[in-house]
Order: sequence, then structure tokens, then C-alpha cells
Amino acid sequence: MGREASTKPSYEIFAYLTLNKERIIAGGVLCLYAENEKDLKTMTRDIAKGLKADVVKLTNGDYMVIRI
Amino acid sequence: MLGSFDITVIVTSIFVGFVSRGISLKEDFRQYPSYPNGYMIHLITGFVAASLGAVALPALLSKNFVAVTFLTLAIQQFRDVRKTEKESLESLEQTEYTYRGSAYIDGIAKTFEARNYMALVTALLTSIVIHILSNFTPINKWVSLLLGITAGFFSLYFLIRFSKGKTIGDIADVRTGTVEVKDSELFVDDIYVSNLLGTDNAEKLISEEGMAVVIYPRESHFRINLDNFGQRQAALFEATRALGVKRYHFTRKDYEKGRVVIALVPLKKDQDALIEVVKKCPLLESVKKSHSVMKTNMGGKK
Repeated sequence: MGREASTKPSYEIFAYLTLNKERIIAGGVLCLYAENEKDLKTMTRDIAKGLKADVVKLTNGDYMVIRI
Repeated sequence: MLGSFDITVIVTSIFVGFVSRGISLKEDFRQYPSYPNGYMIHLITGFVAASLGAVALPALLSKNFVAVTFLTLAIQQFRDVRKTEKESLESLEQTEYTYRGSAYIDGIAKTFEARNYMALVTALLTSIVIHILSNFTPINKWVSLLLGITAGFFSLYFLIRFSKGKTIGDIADVRTGTVEVKDSELFVDDIYVSNLLGTDNAEKLISEEGMAVVIYPRESHFRINLDNFGQRQAALFEATRALGVKRYHFTRKDYEKGRVVIALVPLKKDQDALIEVVKKCPLLESVKKSHSVMKTNMGGKK
């Protein structure tokens, strides 16, 4: 949901989950690698549930757990 | 020294002003305040406002000019009412389904201040009419009392019409939107809304239980009002409060055609109620920019 220009967007990235080790680089956000699609989905869902957060599925198949 | 009829005039005017506040309190379809203590607070301040309006003229007539300075005190008091309302609503922001937003809170607080003036003006006008009719015309005192009451309520009707403002339904059409999830992204009538539906559960929930309305501005310049973030937030707030929220609530504007989407997964699935509540959401005073929108409802016209 967009906000007015003067309002700072209040989102937070909690975790980034991927099937591709190459995409894990250093950063402030927790990056997790999953062996397969099933694990990836389960891990994403569990983290999102625990943190009461939302999940964004990227076009490349990776997941991001965020809260707005 | 006041005579017995003067006392009657004061009491009658206070009564009319007090009832005016009571009527304007129930006037609000948003049912705010809907709680007993809220009613109590506003009725008491309404009574104070009515009393100040009712005694203003007798005070002037008995050459007690200092008493009229109470009116300035009243204005200060009503500003405090606005401030208190604002603080109270702001402190509730974290507990609601979604934010009311500063613009909406400002509008509500101003309305409460204005309604106290309404009680004051109604009481003052009642006492003026009774005084003029009973002293400067051959009309019987008791008939003039009745005519004063009538004038008071007529002024109330006029003031309510004047201050009513418009709603989203007055400047836009609100229609049901088709909710669709494509590759974890939510679309309503092919307008992109959000990509927060990354999990299968989220997709399933919104596909099965999601509801949406699309607001179509009747004129292109109405987009200025409808695109405003405060206005969209107010509409979303009213929708979530009327139907509850199980999960997810979004607003999104479409720059091409000026459409505005309100989407949510409600607790109570009632599409007609959703359309109605968005239609009745008030147009916020702070976002009114267009002259044609600023015209008041003086004659009750749409």
C-alpha cells in the first residue's frame, strides 16, 4: 500500500530464503538456503507464522519474509 | 433582576440547545461514539454550550456585559473538546484493525467541536427569537416561546445540512471488484494490488474469502480527492470496522483511469455492506481541493 511522499514506509525484512546458494551474500538480513522446494515452502511458512509476518514470492522462486 | 418569563426563556433555550446536541450525536451513521461514556461526555459539553448560548442575551439585556466574555471561554472549551477527541482517537490507533489516519482523525475532532457550536447557536437563536417576538410584537408570550423553539430546531436543521459534507458515494461509483490471484500477486479487476500472498495458504484464503470494491470517480478532477492517502485510509478503516478483518487489507490506486481499490479478507462476508460503507465514508475536509466538491449541502442537494 502506497504512502504519501513525506511518510516513511514502515516495512521490515526478516528473512530471505532461496534454493540457490549463489544468491546468499553478506547482509543484515537472515538468508537461508533450502535443499528443495518443499523445504523452502515449509521454512518460509514457519518463519512467517512465528514472526506474524507476510511472505513475498519473488519471480525467481525465492521467498522474502517481511512485515509492513 | 430576571423575571419568571426570562427564566423560562433561558430554560427553554438550554433545552433546545441540549436536544440539538443529542440529535446531532445520533446523526452520525458511523456510530461514533457508540459507547455510553462517549455519549455522556458529549451531552454534558453540549449542555454547557447550550447554557452559554441561552444566557448570552439575558446577560446583555441586564447590562451584564462581562458575562458575555464567557463566550470566549466557551470557544476555548470547545477547542479543548477537539484536542481531547484527537488525542483520544490517536491513542486508539494501535488497537484498531487498521489506522484511521491523521486526516480522518482531524475531521472527526473538528466535527465534535463544530457540533458544540451548533448547540450554542441553536440556544442563542431560540432565546433571541423568543425575546423579539414577546417584546416587540403583539404575539402572546407562550406562543412566542413555541415559535422560538420552532426557530431553534429549524436553525439546527439548517446547520446540520450546512455542516454535513459529502461522502464518497456523492462523487464516485462504488462497485464490486473481482478478486484474482496470479502468481502470488493479488489483482482486483485486473488492477495490481499486492504481492504479499507468497504462501499457498495466503493465496487460498484470499481466493476463497477475499472481497473487494472498486471506486470509480464520476469526474476526472474527483481523483484529486479519492487518490489522497488520508481519504483512502479512511475508506479502508470504515470497511475494516464494519466487516472486521480476518487477514489482509489493502488499498491501491490505478493511475490510468483513477480507480481506487479497497480489498480485504473480512470476518463477515457481506458484499452489499462493504459497498454501502465505502459509499458512506465521508469526504475529508482536509483533502477537499476542488470547488465543485467544496460546495456544501445547504439545500440538501447531492
